[in-house]
Amino acid sequence: MNKALTPRPQMPMGVLKTPFHERMAAENFQQSWMNWNGYASPGVLDTAEFEYFAIRNQATLFDISPMCKFRIKGPDAETVMNRMVTRDVRKQKPGRVSYVIWCDEDGNVVDDGTLFRRSDDEFLLFCQEPQLLWIKDIAWGFDVEVTEVTHDLSGFAFQGPTTAATLRDLKIKEVEEMRPFDIRDIKIAGKRVMISRNGFTGDLGYELIMAPKDALAVWDAVYAAGQRRGVRIIGYEALEMARIEAGFLLPRVDFISSQTNLRVNRARNPFEIGLDWLVTFDKPHYNGKRALQRLAGVAPKRKLFAIEISRDKAAHHALVYHRKTREVGFVTSALWSATTKRNIAYAWLEAPFGQNEKDDLWVEIYLQREIEWQRRMERVQIVERPFFVHPRRTATPPLDF
Amino acid sequence: MSGDFDAIVIGAGHNGLVAAARLAKEGKRVVVLEAAGEVGGLLGGSDPVAAMPFGIHNKIYSGLGLARHGLRYGAPMKTLSLGGEGRVEIGGAVASGVPPEMAASYAELHRKLTRYSGALAKMLAKAPPRFRDGGLGDMLSMAQLGLSIRGLGKTDMRDMLRIILSNVWDLCEDEIGDGPLAAALAMDATLGGAMGPRSPGTVLTLLYRMASTGSGGAGQRSTPIGGAAAVVSALVKAADSSGATIRTSAPVARILVDDSDRAIGVALENGEGIRAPLILSNATPRRTLLDLLGPQHLNAEDVARLRHMATNGMVARLDLDLAELPEGLSEADLAHRIVVAGDMRQVERAFNAAKYGELPNAPAVEFSGRKTDTGWRLGALAQFAPCNLKGGWAKAKKDRLAKSVIKVLDGAIPGVSGKITGADVRSPADLEATYGLTGGHWHHGELRIDQMLMMRPFAGAAQYRMPVAGLYLCGAGAHPGGDISGLPGWNAAGQAIKDGGAK
Repeated sequence: MNKALTPRPQMPMGVLKTPFHERMAAENFQQSWMNWNGYASPGVLDTAEFEYFAIRNQATLFDISPMCKFRIKGPDAETVMNRMVTRDVRKQKPGRVSYVIWCDEDGNVVDDGTLFRRSDDEFLLFCQEPQLLWIKDIAWGFDVEVTEVTHDLSGFAFQGPTTAATLRDLKIKEVEEMRPFDIRDIKIAGKRVMISRNGFTGDLGYELIMAPKDALAVWDAVYAAGQRRGVRIIGYEALEMARIEAGFLLPRVDFISSQTNLRVNRARNPFEIGLDWLVTFDKPHYNGKRALQRLAGVAPKRKLFAIEISRDKAAHHALVYHRKTREVGFVTSALWSATTKRNIAYAWLEAPFGQNEKDDLWVEIYLQREIEWQRRMERVQIVERPFFVHPRRTATPPLDF
Repeated sequence: MSGDFDAIVIGAGHNGLVAAARLAKEGKRVVVLEAAGEVGGLLGGSDPVAAMPFGIHNKIYSGLGLARHGLRYGAPMKTLSLGGEGRVEIGGAVASGVPPEMAASYAELHRKLTRYSGALAKMLAKAPPRFRDGGLGDMLSMAQLGLSIRGLGKTDMRDMLRIILSNVWDLCEDEIGDGPLAAALAMDATLGGAMGPRSPGTVLTLLYRMASTGSGGAGQRSTPIGGAAAVVSALVKAADSSGATIRTSAPVARILVDDSDRAIGVALENGEGIRAPLILSNATPRRTLLDLLGPQHLNAEDVARLRHMATNGMVARLDLDLAELPEGLSEADLAHRIVVAGDMRQVERAFNAAKYGELPNAPAVEFSGRKTDTGWRLGALAQFAPCNLKGGWAKAKKDRLAKSVIKVLDGAIPGVSGKITGADVRSPADLEATYGLTGGHWHHGELRIDQMLMMRPFAGAAQYRMPVAGLYLCGAGAHPGGDISGLPGWNAAGQAIKDGGAK
């Protein structure tokens, strides 16, 4: 064959498959796939309700391989991560995970993620948006190596009340001692796995990370062991329901990352989003610190609130009114929470509403009933996040269910 | 920690000295720390890099009483443009040695540009507006500039807005035609920068230069009696008489910052610490912030802006020793600025090579000269000689540059090469090493639209205040930039005083 005509190896095109794809496809009765960061990710496999109740009552597998993943390694790794995020990374010991956010120079949130401290000089950062250039900019001038490992690490979230029992069945003794946000290096099916006790369901749960070549063996072992514990593969829709209940926010849904907003004044700072608890000033300069110090001293012009709404219709995309007349905000995420039996949502409210002015707030819900639209005004109450958190989340050692 | 001052000025270049003198005059106890063994920066030494300075701004001249300290100006320097047929002499709006119709249209062009630069000049003498959030305040700041342009009247305003972002090549082609006269204007528009006559924005740099109002007015180089050294000496005296301390051979290693994010002093390379609540740096923005302060005190966005600041120096300095002057070059000529570029095309060609990191075959040259004990010394500036020259600035490259400059000179002044007894070349890389000039760039950073006004040194860091409280930038990297006006130093000191620093 003419050498010049030999096709060159090409970059993978279209939507990629994660190592778990065939297993998920086998159970994806809805043929529902979403594009998550370039990978096929199930939206729903069977019914969102079954999958949601599996999160709350059984054990679930959710493929998190498409997450953006970065390794930060070197003598200045701690300095660099501390310079990037708003929490004090110096307090995070090796073998611990933490939920972090990072801000731009104006104090607006760039993204959130989970930061795994693997050792004194090595971190893994998992997040939603591509951040390689951002981290490299933060790391410029420091002795550290930043690598994107998105495609080099696979993993799945293993969440639900019976997950600890399943891992026990797999003879993972570390389950007994792992507190929330602990990391351990274990073996499942003879393969090396980084397991951490954290998740986005407000309940007991773990994340398992491994090399792509080992991924299927680990998945199969956990899935097999989970059969007597009601294990299910779940998709994004069920997860979305659980994360709203658990009080977690989603960039691009509940707020816009300051890297992606086009309109000025669309980016949001941690005080507006209600993530004040992640911001410390008791550490050396970090990105956005000066702006955050200024912002901490002024009342936010608007804030994201957890709200509870009367009756049972979820307030998707609803506008919020004061005295049923003046428009003061809008809903970003909404759900009839089957577990808490509450009609819950997140809503942005312009100051002073929600902050000082909490009464006489209403959402306007549109309902379509056999073509015809109906409008409902329902009462809004400002409540605390999260809507759902179970004592199982923190109980150590965890019970079997 | 030794020492006890109200303010530290890092670097005794002319801007550092202006800032020190202004602060000292306000009653601050000031120390100036100069890394080199002598003061003056690019104006220092017997053959200073910037031998033909624009005038120290009138505001500073009177504000610091520089007349009292012995600074006098002679008649504004004329420009002789050789390299074409015959010799063209330019003094302000008057050009001789060109066809009468060209002289007339040049006079018209010069008057026009002088009016436009006047609108710009108002912006140079004060701190630039600041962009905060694209809100009302910013709009008002921009409106101020808009108003001064509107003040030109409708016809002029339209014309100014039409040409301001265009290039000097088109402007000269349209208005006067190419030739030695246009070449001299093209040199004014491009000298020190990484842009050729055809680069967009070169009308703006020309106007900017013309807005530098020294004693000569509208862009003419001033002639301080006693040369550049006289400017330095007067500034030193001004600082000295108000009680400022000037220390040479005192290189600063680090700017010290306390836990509350304030600059509190500096550490010298010898380990000595000096404390002061106010620090003004005459070093380049990159050297000040990335080397002396350190990225750990900066947001990543600012670090990136600094990294990406255009700072590739393009001018080499040559000192040529002559046993005697050739015919065609008189002693009187040497008091002028002599441009050797036959037309704009030659300037553009010289830039073409430099754009790709190479030396031009025929650089564009300007020079003046002085008498020495043994003969004559020409101080020449050759552009374009890129700091990032391919393969680096080895001796062979310098020799090649010297040869090409001498060849260019020989073309305009026949016989000059035979009189040359020695040539000393200082490349932009040398300037970087000697003066800590990032990229060997005269202006501490390219003067172009995206690095001017509130974008100088970079967006978000205007008004001389640096991200760490108490730290100010007072060198050419700050608004309004280079050309030895002293304004960055003057404005920075003013801003520091206004902010209540060094109480």
